[in-house]
Amino acid sequence: MAHGNGTRRPGAAPGQRLQSVHEQLKDLIESLREQRERRAREASPSPSVSSEPSPGESPSDAAPEVLDLEKRRLSSELAEAHSEVARLSAEEALLRRRVAEMEEEHRRLSDDYVAVEEQNSELASLFVALERLYASADRREALAAVQEIVVNMVGSEELGVYRLEASGGLELAHGFGLARARPDRFQAGDGTLSRVASRGALFVAGRGEDCEDPDLTAAIPLKSGGRVAGVLAIWRLLGHKPYLTDLDHRLFSVLESHAGRWLSPVAE
Amino acid sequence: MDRKKILLVDDSSTVLLMEKMILSKSPYELVTASDGQAGFDKAIAEKPDLILLDVVMPRMDGFEVCRRLRERDETRGVPVIMVTTRGELGSVETGYQSGCTDYITKPINGLELLSKVKNYLGE
Repeated sequence: MAHGNGTRRPGAAPGQRLQSVHEQLKDLIESLREQRERRAREASPSPSVSSEPSPGESPSDAAPEVLDLEKRRLSSELAEAHSEVARLSAEEALLRRRVAEMEEEHRRLSDDYVAVEEQNSELASLFVALERLYASADRREALAAVQEIVVNMVGSEELGVYRLEASGGLELAHGFGLARARPDRFQAGDGTLSRVASRGALFVAGRGEDCEDPDLTAAIPLKSGGRVAGVLAIWRLLGHKPYLTDLDHRLFSVLESHAGRWLSPVAE
Repeated sequence: MDRKKILLVDDSSTVLLMEKMILSKSPYELVTASDGQAGFDKAIAEKPDLILLDVVMPRMDGFEVCRRLRERDETRGVPVIMVTTRGELGSVETGYQSGCTDYITKPINGLELLSKVKNYLGE
């Protein structure tokens, strides 16, 4: 019998060890079958067969003890293999939990990275807007800066900057991409832009406030020293930009607080 | 290790400043040009690793710049990312026909820009 196969190999996988035990059992069964056949041959009457066991052959009454011993040894190995499988299964479950934790941590860090990058991008936008407004040397440059902020950072190619007159009316000071229907002047109390000028409060379409112009996206009061000096009107957004974002509202705040000074009479 | 060089071409100083703010956090060497012709000349002279190219510009538009860069051996393989206010299919197709590698739309999203730049620079 191939008892040597039962030797445990360090580092062998539980599956390999189970396979080894299985092969040993097959060997054992084969050996028992051979012994039974030999006994059957010995029991048959034949003058040429001696009743004495041949040299090197085990006595027939020793077989059950050998069998019992072998079964016990293999059972012990099987139990050991099961124990090893259980231990490795527990270890695998632990590692799987750890991998899941690490994946969760990775997701969290990725989300944090995205949030930080978005915040950086937003701060960069606000810095650029302020820098462009404060680097302007005169009204022309400042209005060009307002245009660039709206076109490139908010995402609209139709805007008008209206200056508030002493009469309360609004007069167009700078326009970009304006549709023909957009008026150059608004009388005091005439429409949404005049309302924004008189209240000094931002209008954003879709917030429930009435507006006579369905194309108007936002109207921002432009202030100087806390007083309204004009209104920035933004009509349609770019085709691939469906709505205003939080950053747009922060840019509106920057424009509201810092662009108006270029519309006051002293800035001319 | 040599820093990767990026050429920024845009006639808007607001956009150039914005792109510089976003990209300056990474160790890139940034070169700028404020119109199409200057952008083309700098692309030849500076041999950038990547070009961010505005579409609507004076002297030469971004599509033409890209076409000319693709005709020259030394700039044929340089990744060109078009920066456009037009996200419509037609405009994007024109960009690809001119030989651009990719495009982003204005308003520029910092994360998208960084991600595409790093992707084309193999980082």
